[in-house]
Amino acid sequence: MSGVVVGLGHASSWGAALVRISPYTFSAIGIAISIGVSVLGAAWGIYITGSSLIGAAIEAPRITSKNLISVIFCEAVAIYGVIVAIILQTKLESVPSSKMYDAESLRAGYAIFASGIIVGFANLVCGSVSYPFSFLTVLVFEFHCQICKPSSHFFCRLCVGIIGSSCALSDAQNSTLFVKILVIEIFGSALGLFGVIVGIIMSAQATWPTK
Amino acid sequence: MAGVMQKFLIASMFMWILPIAILYGFNHDLLPGSTTLSPHSLTILSGFLAVVSVNVVIVFYICLALKEPTDKHKPDASFVAEAKDSVKKLTSGVPSTDPALKKQE
Repeated sequence: MSGVVVGLGHASSWGAALVRISPYTFSAIGIAISIGVSVLGAAWGIYITGSSLIGAAIEAPRITSKNLISVIFCEAVAIYGVIVAIILQTKLESVPSSKMYDAESLRAGYAIFASGIIVGFANLVCGSVSYPFSFLTVLVFEFHCQICKPSSHFFCRLCVGIIGSSCALSDAQNSTLFVKILVIEIFGSALGLFGVIVGIIMSAQATWPTK
Repeated sequence: MAGVMQKFLIASMFMWILPIAILYGFNHDLLPGSTTLSPHSLTILSGFLAVVSVNVVIVFYICLALKEPTDKHKPDASFVAEAKDSVKKLTSGVPSTDPALKKQE
């Protein structure tokens, strides 16, 4: 990949090609990713959590009201994506075409792009990974004593290992364990929050060159 | 069940409306003091306030949900009466006319 730049309009390397892409392209892609991928993560989390919740509520209807908290956490992840998308689109400003490929406007375009990717993928992982697993362990503990021993050990082997509690402890009384696993879910929600905070700080410095 | 759904829907609605309203207020200068901020700090402040408002709604919902009384399992009254009856008969040793006990014997 030779980096020979002949003149402004005759560059023939990858680097020069990238620099000639309009910063608005990158900004638009960043905004789209921030909301699109966050909602994907949230929807995935709600799908796994909600289907387990409805299935388990047949056996133990009392768990529904408390375990809707998991669904609310997942929805919050989608809202973080919306918030950042709204913030990012207020950061888009028009610049005259003479200044469109200045270093400063490229920097603003890249800042918006990076912000969008940070938020999108942090929320994707947060929504689709941490909530379903913590919710599944809540389910296992919630109605453990209502299902027979062999199948409960099977469920324990599937889910509990992920959050890290031991199967032997699950013979304890159920409902008290919910609050403890909720604490773990709060830690999982912090992942999405980190992404949102960094994304907002990143987007705050996206200043386009003034006319 | 209806109460649960109602609480959930109201919490969800607030979770959506509150941050978007805060962002709208900051961007269209509806909130006092938002015009005096530089765009850098305006972005950061509006973003953080919106995220904090979402978390406040979540905490409210958690408090509401944890306060709900969990239904204790109410044992069937006739079943309990029959069980107590059979235990009493077994311990007192009186031969009973209960067909189930007779089958067991």
